[in-house]
Amino acid sequence: MKREIYAYRCRKCGHLHYPYRMVCAGCGDNEHNEFDPEPLPRAGTLLTFTKLYALPGDFEVPTLGLGIVELENGIRITGQLHIDDPSSGMKVIGEVEIVRSEEYEEYYGMVFCEA
Amino acid sequence: MRDVYAIGIGITSFTRLEFPLSEIAAYPVMMALKDAGIKEIDHLYVANMGGARVNHQTGLASAVVDTLSLTPAGAEVIENGPASGASAIKQGFLAVASGMHDVVAVTGAERMREVNSIEATEFVATLTHPLAEYIYGVTLPSLAGMFTRAYMEKYGVTSRHLAMVAVKNQNNALLNEFAHIHQAITVEGILDSPEALTNNPFIADPLRFFDCCPVSDGGASVILATREVAEKTGRPLVRLAGIGQATDTHCVHEREEPTDLLAVRRAAAQSFKMAGVGPLDVGVAELHDAFTILEIVESEEVGFFKKGEGHLALERGETQIGGKIPINPSGGLKGRGHPVGATGVAQAYEIVLQLRGEAGKRQVADPKIGFTCNFGGFGNNVVCLTFAREN
Ligand SMILES: [Zn+2]
Repeated sequence: MKREIYAYRCRKCGHLHYPYRMVCAGCGDNEHNEFDPEPLPRAGTLLTFTKLYALPGDFEVPTLGLGIVELENGIRITGQLHIDDPSSGMKVIGEVEIVRSEEYEEYYGMVFCEA
Repeated sequence: MRDVYAIGIGITSFTRLEFPLSEIAAYPVMMALKDAGIKEIDHLYVANMGGARVNHQTGLASAVVDTLSLTPAGAEVIENGPASGASAIKQGFLAVASGMHDVVAVTGAERMREVNSIEATEFVATLTHPLAEYIYGVTLPSLAGMFTRAYMEKYGVTSRHLAMVAVKNQNNALLNEFAHIHQAITVEGILDSPEALTNNPFIADPLRFFDCCPVSDGGASVILATREVAEKTGRPLVRLAGIGQATDTHCVHEREEPTDLLAVRRAAAQSFKMAGVGPLDVGVAELHDAFTILEIVESEEVGFFKKGEGHLALERGETQIGGKIPINPSGGLKGRGHPVGATGVAQAYEIVLQLRGEAGKRQVADPKIGFTCNFGGFGNNVVCLTFAREN
């Protein structure tokens, strides 16, 4: 099964959220759970990025690329970068991969490469 | 609402402290009560973020009120991330303004150096969105690094401007006996010299070591009271005249304009409105420079300078102690240090000291209005305070 990361579309006003929130930021309607999940697209544009040298203890790599990407549907996401020489405005393409492993748990998230 | 005055202040050294967290919180209350010349309070507010996680202590306020022999006064902990300090001051203000209490003590304390710097950074990273930020390895420095890059590309801020903030604030800290960092640095030394890559390594590119505040221990306290009580102290009257608070999206990536800090803009505007003053009336300010970029951007968002021009004012020396609007004469988070829960109260401590004219070698020339900006999360919860000297 292909793993996906989901955005959530409000059934009332169509506003799309990522990540999930309980009440729609578009219409403020407070009916609980009135959202339809929608898989996030993979292609986008890198808005900004950093190379992190001071990593959380459980990361066994010397540096970590992180960035904020605007996906082609306009939704923005924070993700890891597997890009040697990133630049703002660069076209990128994401895959859902393991981004963090703790003792008993593995977390999946979006990892971007140059498109 | 009744008027509320800051009648006493106290602080600890912000270096590594080998005392229990409860004592780091209690000591500045003792000093502040002595400063105010009083012995009793109605209530105690304790700002702290990491007691439960870092120091394995819960119910901190009960421990503090007891070790100070202030029981049976009411006491509670206020946790609002790195803005806990100003949030606790706000709660104290509300209690006195409402008429519920006449005298309250607010203290902020943190003992972060009980753990190593990786664990401390990891603890602060729990502020980020658990599923959309934290799992990726996002820390506060990484959010600041991404924000800094966007700001540089949009407004022409350079590494040199960032280094100028670090140099200014560490120089100011040299004049503050309680500051964590007592080390003179120069832009040349941390940017241009052959040693710069080793003495000032990258933390979260483009941010380097000297762009980030240190991990500190420390406590600070302010006593708040009615005018009637304040007048009896015989000290200069400093009124807590305005409070503003605003929140923003939990995830930084959801903000429409990635270079805006809307919560800072809104909290500052509210605080000034309540005080009946404008940003250009401010004579001294303590801004939340957890990262050098933040001092520049906050100086714009609160209204001291136009958006995108804070770095130019910095270049002109306007934010120096002798400048038009001195920012962080205490050394700021960068120089004084950043024991997270204590910072907002330490900012207020500095402003009250400055407004009283008691800041010694770092005294700003005759300020009448002082301002603090305490920044929680990466700008998702901001509390701004405006103080006014009345006599
Ligand atoms: Zn909606």
